[in-house]
Amino acid sequence: MKSGLNTLMYKFCLLLLVSLFMSGCATYGQKAGSTRDNLLAGQVGIALAAVEAEDKDQEEVLASMNKGVLRRMVGDYSGSNQVLEVAKQQIEDLYGISITDQLGAVTVNDTLRAYTGDRYEQVLLHAYMAMNYIQMDDLDAARVEILQADVKMQEWGEAPEEDPFVRYFSGMIYEALGESDQAVVAYRRASEIYKATVDKQSLAVPQVLKADLLRGLANEGLWDEYKRLKKDFGMKNFKPTKLGNGFGEVIVILHNGLAPVRSSNTIATASGADVVDLVKIALPVYLNSPRQLYKARLVANGKSVNLETVENIDSLARSALDSDMPAITARAIARAIIKHTTQKEAQEQGGSLAGFLMTITNIVTEQADTRSWSTLPQEIQLARLVLPKGTQNVQIEMFNGAGVLVDTISQSVNVQSGERSFISEHWTSPNMVMTVTAGK
Amino acid sequence: MYSQTLRNLASVLLIISLGLGLAACGKKITRVDQNAVTDISGKWNDTDSRLVSEEMIQDVLSRPWLNRFTSKHKKPPTVIVGKVRNLSHEHINTRTFVADIERALINSGTVDFVASSTERKEIREERKDMDLNATEATRKAAGAEIGADYMLKGTINTIVDAASGEQARFYQIDLTLIDLANNRKTWVGQKKIKKTIEKGGLRW
Repeated sequence: MKSGLNTLMYKFCLLLLVSLFMSGCATYGQKAGSTRDNLLAGQVGIALAAVEAEDKDQEEVLASMNKGVLRRMVGDYSGSNQVLEVAKQQIEDLYGISITDQLGAVTVNDTLRAYTGDRYEQVLLHAYMAMNYIQMDDLDAARVEILQADVKMQEWGEAPEEDPFVRYFSGMIYEALGESDQAVVAYRRASEIYKATVDKQSLAVPQVLKADLLRGLANEGLWDEYKRLKKDFGMKNFKPTKLGNGFGEVIVILHNGLAPVRSSNTIATASGADVVDLVKIALPVYLNSPRQLYKARLVANGKSVNLETVENIDSLARSALDSDMPAITARAIARAIIKHTTQKEAQEQGGSLAGFLMTITNIVTEQADTRSWSTLPQEIQLARLVLPKGTQNVQIEMFNGAGVLVDTISQSVNVQSGERSFISEHWTSPNMVMTVTAGK
Repeated sequence: MYSQTLRNLASVLLIISLGLGLAACGKKITRVDQNAVTDISGKWNDTDSRLVSEEMIQDVLSRPWLNRFTSKHKKPPTVIVGKVRNLSHEHINTRTFVADIERALINSGTVDFVASSTERKEIREERKDMDLNATEATRKAAGAEIGADYMLKGTINTIVDAASGEQARFYQIDLTLIDLANNRKTWVGQKKIKKTIEKGGLRW
């Protein structure tokens, strides 16, 4: 009876201590949650300031990736590329399996593994750098980035490791550079990968890509394939247009919403009555289902077109975690066994206090790896519109679930005959504030 | 027993990695000969740039276009540097070897160079400024610029073959000298470089 009470006391103290310790060190998921809250409230400036205050030496890949996106959001494209280049180099340096990382992962927790990003994050890194270069009016440098993404995807092998949007986007860059043959190859590949990765992204081949592919095939004179695909796509009335004669094209890429944030799912189990039999297992989890996105419509020169989803990052993030889950669970079980053994041994060799302390250490250090590139958008959406040359006022209208217009992004573009211009905007809230107001 | 050995292993590894970490902490700088080959990441580096300029300089000076021009016009040809487009998969600074080539050609005394379009802007502004501020005797008049006979243009292309940790990189650098009077290509220089890179599957 007495020892039972003692155990209860121990367990109570343990719980108290654990909660004390845990409040001291916020996990990545918690920090990412506060960035997300700021962005959903439209406070981009505040979110950026908080992210900039951390990891000033740019040593962590994930912190750099987050800075890269937030700097882009406030229009600092060269600053964004500076920090994304650092992240890219570090990912390169961290290639291969680390022995110390693995050892840490099975003895302490998964967050000791260096973060190099999931595959979808690694290729999107190149895509965002390319977008920054485009916005700095350096299409050749953007081309370099998409070629690097291509090398990366080559290394991984065939679809479904390839990213359909990145392939599609590279086609747009080739087209903007006048390399229409290369563009056709990219568009064709993109449409194949959309089909092959449908279980990961649940996206059909976007209508806008179908039209681009058909137009490319027509321009290159590949009429057999053109006729076959036109039938396959069910686009009987499609007519290929050629730019020029006073018309140019505007390509609008909207980064809509925010990618999900991982939380920690903790399971505490006791394999016996003793304190040292207490073992905690923490696993990463996406708690909330995807948010409903605001709909976007592009309006210019009296024409309007709805933006189409070309990359579902929310769904990519979830399926990445799903496919990692068996390995994560295996490491967690291995860890639990090792931790339990150390607790038992500490008690046998150093008495109940030693066992108690070892148990606390093990429980406190058990943390789920909640890291993911959470400043990415929920979805990337796209629309293309042919417009007459000259300065055009382009508007992206955002509608809520009830179909009410809640926000309008206005941009003026200089459309040149036969040329393509890009607009790339992030949107997370109807009230976007880009600067940190004084006093905050 | 098992966990004991595991912990021993862990502490040994910890000590080793600490040692490695400390070794990396101290900054060490060594001066090396500028011609030394320093391949670190496998990416385009100074050695590649030097190899390109050496090859191109040697080639461009030994070809018949030069003698043909000088015997016909009784003066060295004037060349302007155009754009060298980077179509490779790396961010490559093309100015280094273009500057090398320019220097070698000017110093050989057989080719004259005129300032490129970006350089010209600055010089023209200076001339405008002279109009207002310099003395009559030292003032340089506008409209006395030398028109170039040839433009040097080029591209860098790469072919990369990659599979799990291994890469073969092939660079091809093409430079062309185009006659500004009639668009004729008078000289084409080419340099190819091939490298293989293997990435280790394990690290500390």
